[in-house]
Amino acid sequence: MKRFAFACYVSAATLLFSRCTTVIDAKLDTGPSELSVDGLITDQPGEQTIRLTQTAGYFDSSTPPAATSATVTVSDDAGKTYRFLDPDNDGYYVWQPTGKDTLGRVGRTYQLTIVFRGETYRATSKLNRVPPVDSLVFVKRKINPISTTEGYRAEFYSTDLAGATDYYRVRFFRNGVLQNKARNIILSEDGAFEGASQVTDGLLFIAPIRLSVNPDSLYKQNENVKIELHSVSADAFRFWNLLRGQVTNGGLFATPPANVPTNILNANTSGPKATGFFITSAVRSLSATVSTPNLRERPY
Amino acid sequence: MKNDIQFWIVCTFVSLLVVSTGKAQNGQNTNTLDTYQTNSNRTAALTVSGYIKDAANGEGLIGVSVYVKETGTGAVTNNYGFYGVTLQPGTYSLVISYVGYAKQTKTVALSDKNVRLDLELEQEGKDLQEVIVSTKREDDNVKNIEMSVNRIDVKTLQRIPALLGEVDVIRSIQLLPGVSTVGEGATGFNVRGGSIDQNLVLLDEAPVYNSSHLFGFFSVFNPDAVKDVKLIKGGIPSNYGGRIASILDVRLKEGNAKKPELNGGIGLIFSRLSYERPLFKGKGSFIVAGRRSYADILAQPFLNSDLKGAKFYFYDLTAKGNYRINDKNTVFLSGYLGRDVFGSDFGFNWGNTTLSARWNHVFSDRLFLNTTAYYSNYDYSLNTDLKGKRPNDFFKTDSRIVDYSLKPDFSLFLGKNTITFGGQSIYHDFQPGMATAASGGSVRTFGLESKYALENALYVGNEQQLTPKLQLQYGLRYSLFNYVGPGEAYVFQTDVPFGQRREVITTLSYKGNKTIKTYGNWEPRFSAKYELNGNTSLKLSYNRLAQYIHLISNTSASTPLDIWTPSTNNIAPQIGDQIAAGYFKNFGKNGQEFEASVEVYYKWLQNQIDYIDGASLILNKYLEGDLLKGKGRAYGAEFFIKRNTGVVNGWISYTLAKTERQVAGINNGDWYPTRFDKRHTLTSVLLFDPPNAKRWSFSATFTLASGTPATFPTNRFEFGDFVVPHNYENARNNYRIPAYHRLDLAATLQGRKRPGKKKEDNWVFSVYNAYARKNPFSVYFQPNADNPRVTEAIRYSVFATIIPSVTYNFKF
Repeated sequence: MKRFAFACYVSAATLLFSRCTTVIDAKLDTGPSELSVDGLITDQPGEQTIRLTQTAGYFDSSTPPAATSATVTVSDDAGKTYRFLDPDNDGYYVWQPTGKDTLGRVGRTYQLTIVFRGETYRATSKLNRVPPVDSLVFVKRKINPISTTEGYRAEFYSTDLAGATDYYRVRFFRNGVLQNKARNIILSEDGAFEGASQVTDGLLFIAPIRLSVNPDSLYKQNENVKIELHSVSADAFRFWNLLRGQVTNGGLFATPPANVPTNILNANTSGPKATGFFITSAVRSLSATVSTPNLRERPY
Repeated sequence: MKNDIQFWIVCTFVSLLVVSTGKAQNGQNTNTLDTYQTNSNRTAALTVSGYIKDAANGEGLIGVSVYVKETGTGAVTNNYGFYGVTLQPGTYSLVISYVGYAKQTKTVALSDKNVRLDLELEQEGKDLQEVIVSTKREDDNVKNIEMSVNRIDVKTLQRIPALLGEVDVIRSIQLLPGVSTVGEGATGFNVRGGSIDQNLVLLDEAPVYNSSHLFGFFSVFNPDAVKDVKLIKGGIPSNYGGRIASILDVRLKEGNAKKPELNGGIGLIFSRLSYERPLFKGKGSFIVAGRRSYADILAQPFLNSDLKGAKFYFYDLTAKGNYRINDKNTVFLSGYLGRDVFGSDFGFNWGNTTLSARWNHVFSDRLFLNTTAYYSNYDYSLNTDLKGKRPNDFFKTDSRIVDYSLKPDFSLFLGKNTITFGGQSIYHDFQPGMATAASGGSVRTFGLESKYALENALYVGNEQQLTPKLQLQYGLRYSLFNYVGPGEAYVFQTDVPFGQRREVITTLSYKGNKTIKTYGNWEPRFSAKYELNGNTSLKLSYNRLAQYIHLISNTSASTPLDIWTPSTNNIAPQIGDQIAAGYFKNFGKNGQEFEASVEVYYKWLQNQIDYIDGASLILNKYLEGDLLKGKGRAYGAEFFIKRNTGVVNGWISYTLAKTERQVAGINNGDWYPTRFDKRHTLTSVLLFDPPNAKRWSFSATFTLASGTPATFPTNRFEFGDFVVPHNYENARNNYRIPAYHRLDLAATLQGRKRPGKKKEDNWVFSVYNAYARKNPFSVYFQPNADNPRVTEAIRYSVFATIIPSVTYNFKF
């Protein structure tokens, strides 16, 4: 929230001050390669995927080397174990449901176990509750205050679940395409900003979060928009928050560069470390088309 | 309980020291029978004392030298322009000198009575042309026991090329040795390896918690209202305390006591106006000075309806008045009020308010008392609906810190000893965050518990002329801090690996003003000066300081929204120890043309606060569980040479320094350089007054500094579509960004003086960053916007171009 406030401030200050960013050459040391985990388990039907790669030099822009030949299992606190397999040897380990089976269940705790190159890595995460997305509406607006071009601004409505601190990640799709730039990482604590749980517990999501699901150019008539609301654990919220800080860094009030945390721990504490995160989410979604039934008038 | 006892021990100690020093005085001077009964008919030491003021406007002058020819001793006026010299009966010649003012010699005959001698000094050369850059006393550099102290007078300040032509106190002190900043635009300043919260910034003795407008681009001090700026980096006397790195003592003008005066200026950022005049037939005076930025006013007609009402301004108002009740009593009242407001829909504002009332009382010709009572308030708030258009949908937080304080300070002039003693009580009230959320019409409010604390101190110090060559200043301060209720105190886990969040185990509730935690610290202070000859001296100092309030920031440059917190049961007070040694020499024409110094220092810092990665600051009740404790060290050498007179004058300073911290849980527990560590810093200020161009004067400053440390990644990994930087060793500040250098220029053109007209005016033309260097503020790493898999190192410059400006100043 603070960074957002300062973005406003700094852009206003740009009226007065010239600021400049330049791409420069930097010589960096490269450390040894480590296991990296990109794991998201949901309560949605269908297959579930965990991607294993290895870290590379910071400026190495090739596809990261896959971590292959690993044994990957997920077990829950009800005693069930799910095996993830990588038949294509590309680092994407997949669990295929049989019939209508789903993997994730709200309230259960999941443990990920990876055996890779003789080391055993584990991560634990609870799959938390999530409220539904109640509605999704659009308001006709100018793209920006000094433009004459108009578009449609989306606003979704959801109400935080009362009684505990809930952490959410919001994703949105434009005509089926996930909007996934760094500034599209939308995080919320109890429907508001980080730290707000004591004041917004059980409240309707606050306006800045409701309005965060828009591309720069707003939506056009008849476009389809889908909102996904994910529950995340407190640790995963912190991970995403720091990740967002690192990939949107810059400016006067940048977060000093630092490693984002990981929940992937080597059973052998003196063995090689791992990066990445194992996240479990319950997901609720809602789609709507930019058309007359979904248009509203708003004073703001 | 133990601390209470210590406190009373100090009280006793203070009184004993005062009495015993008085006795010692008697012992040394066999002719002196009783230093306290000065009005008796016996042969006794007598005192010459009084106020020394500026003849032009009646301002008390700080640091004027009063030198007794016959005895070779002397005194210096205090912060109120008061001095006292104790002598045996006889006839003496007193030489009163002050740089920039005509020297006066007065003959004083002391027979059986103390003499009150109030004087007014005439300025030498009234127009701005003849500005002399100097510490106040011509030979101050060598003769004064103070070391690690820099003064800038307002006239010099006004000559230094300024960003957008706005004369600025904080930006100017960054040109002094030992002072640095994280980068241009960053809030605050760093002194000898201290972080920004370790500077006590005083405006007429009231602390200012945020000294910045528009982050650190401008400071809150209106140059039209400032009289004197003094920065103390070491050898801090016992009457100061509460911060461990430095004291920035800003004194306001008292207002012209002779005639009304109107000053103003029009610049690109601010416009300024100040008015001062005598009151009560010359027995008092006042000054009111205001500034406001006007970018928003200029832009308003060009904004369409959506941006109408966008707020973007800052202002400040400074006022001071004084009234001389009689020869023995003078009262002063000063106030400051300032605010920054920025934003359209989403915005924030912050501001300081200070009010200080002071009473100067001359008990006798030897005992001077200043009592200050002050109130200081710093508040800030964030709001998603700054324009107030959405009463049903907004989110805002408000935070503030309020101080109330009383501070009596006595000076006792006893010839070869000048004793200062007194105390201070501060009541702190911290409101770390009050949030109000409205969503879809429901409104909720939640506040973090306020935190209260009582900070007390007692001190005594003595400045003693031991032999004609050796002068000592020594003192002791005892500070006692009580973290008090009503409120909650938290007990956290202790068995958590360093660098991870500690969860709260127990919450303790305290009612009333019950003490939650007490800290007490003895703070010894010592300075010595040995004069090798009239032009050369050696100085040595040691000080220990304790600090009970802390600023917690999790961004590169501090923001106005960072959290202030008192010491609590979980946060121990910061302790700083410093030793410094220096060699001071004056030389050249009259032995005073140049002053030069070399100082070395070493500092040890305890209980430095850091935080775990990803610490959450806003509205975090359990913030203390995210904090880490470490230690620090800083050492360096400062070289300074200044030319006081001549067509070209100014100074060059070079600082060689190292600043490190060590915190379990950061950088694998190894020492790491701080964000503001700079190995080399060179600054030079040159003022040029061409003799054949009467109306023009010129100035230039040049700064060259090593790049500051930064954390660079060694590796990367992919998560979703994002490429995330990763440091294999989990190091902090393992690289340095490129060096910084900048040249600024300014030219002042005096308006023509018309005979018989009072009006004076001038134009100041300035150029900031004259050769348009893209100086790095930071280097950070990011995916390319078009091809996220390609990662880049990006240098961020705050000012990437040349910034010219023009300012018009006038005086009626």
